[in-house]
Amino acid sequence: MDLLASILYDTVYHAAPIILCVIGGVFAYQANVLNIALEGMMGIGAFASTLTVYFTNSLVLGLLAGVLAALIFGAIFSVMGVTLRGNVIIIGVALNLLVTAIAGFVMVRMNVANISLSSLNVSDLQIIIPGIDAIPILGPIVSGHPILTYVAFIGIWLMWVLSYRTKFGTYVRVVGENEDAAKSLGLKTNFYKIVAILIGALTCGLAGINLSTERLGLYTNGMTAGRGFVAIAAIYCGRGDPLKSSLYAILFGFARSLSINLAIYAGPASGLFDVIPYVVMVVVLLVVQVSKRRNVRTRGFANG
Amino acid sequence: MQDFMNKKMSRRSFFGTSAAVATILGLAACGNSSTSDSGSSSSGDENKKKRIAVLCDDAGKNDNGYNQAAVEGAQKVGQDKGWEVKIVEPTNGVPDALESLGEDGYDIVFNMAYDFEALINGVGGAEPLASQYPDTEWVIFNDNPNKNDDGSVKHKNVIAVLYDLNESSFLAGALSVLVNENAETLFKGGDYSFTDPSTARACGFIGGTNSAGIVVFSYGYITGINYEAEKLGVTYDYYAKYDAGFTDSAGGATVAGTYYGNGANVVFGCAGSVGDGITSKAKEVGKLAIQVDGNKDDQQPGYVLTSVLKNTNVPVQTICDALDDGSLSSMDNLQDYSLASGATGLTDCTEIQKAITTDEGKAKWEEIWAEIEDLKGKVGSEIKVVNAQNGETFDPSTCPNVNIK
Repeated sequence: MDLLASILYDTVYHAAPIILCVIGGVFAYQANVLNIALEGMMGIGAFASTLTVYFTNSLVLGLLAGVLAALIFGAIFSVMGVTLRGNVIIIGVALNLLVTAIAGFVMVRMNVANISLSSLNVSDLQIIIPGIDAIPILGPIVSGHPILTYVAFIGIWLMWVLSYRTKFGTYVRVVGENEDAAKSLGLKTNFYKIVAILIGALTCGLAGINLSTERLGLYTNGMTAGRGFVAIAAIYCGRGDPLKSSLYAILFGFARSLSINLAIYAGPASGLFDVIPYVVMVVVLLVVQVSKRRNVRTRGFANG
Repeated sequence: MQDFMNKKMSRRSFFGTSAAVATILGLAACGNSSTSDSGSSSSGDENKKKRIAVLCDDAGKNDNGYNQAAVEGAQKVGQDKGWEVKIVEPTNGVPDALESLGEDGYDIVFNMAYDFEALINGVGGAEPLASQYPDTEWVIFNDNPNKNDDGSVKHKNVIAVLYDLNESSFLAGALSVLVNENAETLFKGGDYSFTDPSTARACGFIGGTNSAGIVVFSYGYITGINYEAEKLGVTYDYYAKYDAGFTDSAGGATVAGTYYGNGANVVFGCAGSVGDGITSKAKEVGKLAIQVDGNKDDQQPGYVLTSVLKNTNVPVQTICDALDDGSLSSMDNLQDYSLASGATGLTDCTEIQKAITTDEGKAKWEEIWAEIEDLKGKVGSEIKVVNAQNGETFDPSTCPNVNIK
């Protein structure tokens, strides 16, 4: 694979789980719930799916288990954070920490250091589209990825439609922008908040499955490695728009891919490339915030 | 008004939640220290039964390698000598766990974690744990911080254990080249897609962090590659990353993917969980990986060439024996375990041999293995390999047949 092809391929590789987190996570943002448990939801999805495939050898069951586990996390978050009005930061942190604890405990009981699916060869899960895979630039972007990666990209559009072309999407945003007004209209605000959180949990579960089972056939503790937080940053950069937020996720994937692929040519300076994604994030957040503030000031709500 | 109520409500529940979290954390802390305390029931004062403890690092006691070997070594000692053995997996940080073990008066504490500051120098103005608990013999691994600026020993009751990993990594490098050159013959009919050595010759190395404990592997590996490459009159590209971390297995897999994509047939991973991502990638692309610490050859059978071993049970046994026969106090504070001691080396490669099916391949493997056996005798005496853990520096110009990228 030449350099450009592998940069593009790895961009998609690293962007996919973040996109999956982002497209679901935007709903909680729109409903004005700060969901920092994306990381934990992704982690539990990864763990549950790999564990299930390990014992049952069934990818379908693994998929269901991963999604279900993430939804359970979403339900816990909803009940504690929305219904009981607990502090969402504390709940989120607890859920994030819970994953490594649960997974660590189970793996100790199983006497293993990681869950490795030796019966599965992940290259069999990659969908190679005949004809397209040979096209220079398009090939590595479009072909040779596992199915959830495609789901991620299709999901961007689906979630955009759900968000901006349905009644549900409008109501979620109404709840987020002005909860009292929503209540006065007779909307069940908690219901919309909970559904928004659960959509996020669902896609985070998929992100976890994509990251572990589907791409590596492996679960190692802490393998989400902050991707959930990157997703949160992407959501904030894109201000909750599935399309814009996903673009930031792709940007992050691209930066990550650059840092990995250029490292070969950069020798000892390769460490610098690893900084790229984070510098990009800080700059983007700064620019977004500055432009947002300028908007607010021109409209005359200086402290709004 | 409604809004105000909500605010008040959420503030109250915030405090409620924080209190709950604090309680849980508090309980967890108690749980931790009580595990450290337990198990000392039978140690009567008059009948002084020796007590040893193994403190695992983050990988835990079931890591199938580094920690597990030490734990099993200690348990064997416990059985043979009737000693009490305590295994601790710290949940509240290494210093706390070390302190409670010292407090409990264990005779030997094996600290597998790479965390020595509190023990050797003391943190937060506290006295070093080693001098707070002088009756405990502290054993640390992979580094020797127990010395003053002038090189003299700081604490008499601390033993630092180092492995000559440079020597075992050398063997891994030599084996990589020999296998790379003969991959076609060896693995004929197998599910592999090796890069033909005539188009590109390369090896990769991925380390968790840029420290002496990691680069020691890399330098040994380079020297081994160079040794065989020089014999064959060929040049190898060497791709290395020293900051892959220890947790992001998916990230490590992509890095390995770029090395494999650039013609490397073997990638040596030395980075905890990231190494597991590398073996997974090796399987995906049909190439080979090298693992580290324990025998992890069966992790992805047929795609892990070998593992560079750190047999932590050997020093555990030796040091406990020394305590038993009373020679511990005269033991050197720096214990260096060489290839010859059996504490480090390569696996017997039985897993990878299963992937060699043809008679021709088997004959070739015998040939390669004979060469490795031959090298085993030479490394350390005839062949000198730079040992970064002893502060030796590596000069790339000594390896002209390896082109370090």
